[in-house]
Amino acid sequence: MDRTVGFVSASREAAGAPRDPLPAPDRGDRGSRPERPVLELNGVGKTFGRHPPIAALSDVSLIVNRGESVAVVGPSGSGKTTLLRCINFLVPYDSGRVLVNGRLVGYRERQGRLVPDTEPRVNEIRKRIGMVFQRFNLFPHRTVLGNLLEGPLYVLKVPRTQAVQRAKAALELVGLTDKIDAYPGQLSGGQQQRVAIARALCMEPELMLFDEVTSALDPELVGEVLAVIRRLAQQGMTMVIVTHEMAFARDVADRVVFMEAGRIVADQPAVDFFMKPATPRIEAFLSRFAVPGRPG
Amino acid sequence: MLQFARDYLPLYFQGTLVAIAVTALSMLLSVAIGLAAALGRLSGSRAARSIVSAYVAFFRGIPPLVLLYVVYFGLPSWAEQMGIRPLAAFLAPLNNRVLSAVIAFGVNSGAYSTEIIRSAIASIPHEQMEAAQSLGMSYWLAMRRIIVPQSARVAFPPLGNEFIAVLKGTSLASVIGVTELMRDAQLVAAATFQNLMAYSLAGVYYVVLVIMLQGAVGWIEGRLSLAHK
Repeated sequence: MDRTVGFVSASREAAGAPRDPLPAPDRGDRGSRPERPVLELNGVGKTFGRHPPIAALSDVSLIVNRGESVAVVGPSGSGKTTLLRCINFLVPYDSGRVLVNGRLVGYRERQGRLVPDTEPRVNEIRKRIGMVFQRFNLFPHRTVLGNLLEGPLYVLKVPRTQAVQRAKAALELVGLTDKIDAYPGQLSGGQQQRVAIARALCMEPELMLFDEVTSALDPELVGEVLAVIRRLAQQGMTMVIVTHEMAFARDVADRVVFMEAGRIVADQPAVDFFMKPATPRIEAFLSRFAVPGRPG
Repeated sequence: MLQFARDYLPLYFQGTLVAIAVTALSMLLSVAIGLAAALGRLSGSRAARSIVSAYVAFFRGIPPLVLLYVVYFGLPSWAEQMGIRPLAAFLAPLNNRVLSAVIAFGVNSGAYSTEIIRSAIASIPHEQMEAAQSLGMSYWLAMRRIIVPQSARVAFPPLGNEFIAVLKGTSLASVIGVTELMRDAQLVAAATFQNLMAYSLAGVYYVVLVIMLQGAVGWIEGRLSLAHK
């Protein structure tokens, strides 16, 4: 395992470093109580449209502790992507609570009611959550280095030399040091996705969200991207991974969450999920994937 | 005929320079208005959206010549008559012919630039904004760093066409006495009574200018797309 570029340890230092302007609620009582989960969802709901309303998420609760990686699987349209997007508030949820490091995302409490939070405060939380999209979404007008500098320079206001250092370390981790001056259009899908992961890492996030990051890739390019995620898991990065790669979920995730029709149907340790499916529905779902080592 | 061209061609030089300068300044104003208005129209503010819609509807409808008369002959003297001193002082610069022309053409063309820039910004996939926001960027920072720079490449060719349209439109400034290319032609025609020759020479100048501009636009366009490949 390669520990030369340790994004996770760096982000932990950052969490306690003085540059952090936000008091993390769990600080100070770390000794007396167990550490607060990085991510907590309590009864989160989201409805799209009105005629008729479609419930994308209903009563979703989930806890992700520091260093854990959780795979979210389930059929298309089951709300997996919406779940991820509610976590960094790209989609505003309409009931329940999302807490990142104990801080409510997107809303603030006023006289017992939740009111929408201001944009700067939402961004304050987004800074600490890295997101990787299905379709990469790199900035096509900037080089690889430019893509990696954008966040650190203009959002975190890190000095340029330091931002460049971070970018180089991130590129080393994803194995694309030689592409530093390339434009996204010159890279393969797998390379673009690895740059997208590096771009998120440059923010030194405490939580990484992966939204079906291999679904848009040619089959032979999937491996290189999964290898990078695997490496992050080994480094102890906290991650929520929406995926259709069952073998990968089994090998890398600590826990697997199964979603259907906007609900979490099962939340089990990865081994149990595949070896002892909780419901016949999951059994049937899994039977469509050839997962090595799984009976049947 | 050739002799005529040889004798009088140099007389058009200065007017050509004035025409180019008026065009460049008008387009500067036009793009500035267009960018601000496009951002306003795309913003969530309902007031900004209605103001921009009204601006576009009005200035796209009014002929540039009418606008030129209103700005140069209308506004300063109206302010004088009203006797409101600060207003008169504010509008006094419009007694300058060139400035009046720049403002009339700039404001007029700004309506077109608004539509060009708005549709260019709208053509950038929404995912780009999401990616920027996922990095913690605010809406405006994302616009400035990610969306607007990408839309510049899309907006450039139609803005080039607009530049050409404004250049040809500057010939209208001759009616308020700006000594641009068309005015030079009028002066030559009046002095020589060779109307056909005098105005044809001006026409040749415009055509050559437009061809040169088109070349420049194409070259810059190529450079811009190179930066993406």
